[in-house]
Amino acid sequence: MVWQWCRFGAASICFIIGIVFMVVAVFGVNRFQKALNRMHAAALGDTLGILFVFLGLILMRGISLDSLKLFLVILFFWMASPVSGHMISRLEAMTDEELGELFIIRKDLHPGKKEAVSKGCQLQEETITSKEQQFQKEDAALEEKDSI
Amino acid sequence: MELIEFAYNSLMTGAVIILAVLIICSMIRSVLGPRIADRIIAVNMIGTMIIMIIAILSVYLDENYLVDICLIYAMISFLGVVVLCKIYTGVYLKRKKMLANMEAIEKNVTSCQKENEGD
Repeated sequence: MVWQWCRFGAASICFIIGIVFMVVAVFGVNRFQKALNRMHAAALGDTLGILFVFLGLILMRGISLDSLKLFLVILFFWMASPVSGHMISRLEAMTDEELGELFIIRKDLHPGKKEAVSKGCQLQEETITSKEQQFQKEDAALEEKDSI
Repeated sequence: MELIEFAYNSLMTGAVIILAVLIICSMIRSVLGPRIADRIIAVNMIGTMIIMIIAILSVYLDENYLVDICLIYAMISFLGVVVLCKIYTGVYLKRKKMLANMEAIEKNVTSCQKENEGD
């Protein structure tokens, strides 16, 4: 009986830690200003949140084939989540024109240096009219004031 | 023995309820998100939380096959994120009348480098 209550305590602690990680992740996704910062918050829930919740479920189940499958889900998530994060960040870095400064590693242009500092790539804006650009800049300025 | 059953049930029910509330919160972000990347991030998080709920239900209802559904849901969610990122990159490049091959990317990056060195 004591052993079962100990197992319940360990499982509930893991569960609560995982749920707290998910709450922090959702809070960060709703609270941060830019998409790359939001991605940082979302990765927390994808790795640690799912690890602790599934660890609690494995403790409840005991060692069986189901807990092996649950462990497989954790393993798959830990391999798939960085790949999807990389894809999303590449999409954001390619399409956002007011991203700010970025570190671009190009060894062929600067063979001596390891990293070359470069601003975000300003792509050619042919299709956007000037009024829309003005509105976008005003909106960005207002957002910056609000964030400060 | 009944007490520990009740404790397990209440723990899992509470976790499912909290996760459902969190899904609604991140659905708000997926509607409000100003850029397309915000929406994809929010949808990815919704997928993660639904996988957690399915895994909790598999223990709660004592059904083994729900874990397989959980694994397949994870794979499809990952595939969806990758496909959406590829599609929106292609849409953006098409709207800007740029080519998506390696030559165009090299040209773009080298022109940016020259501009920055001029500064």
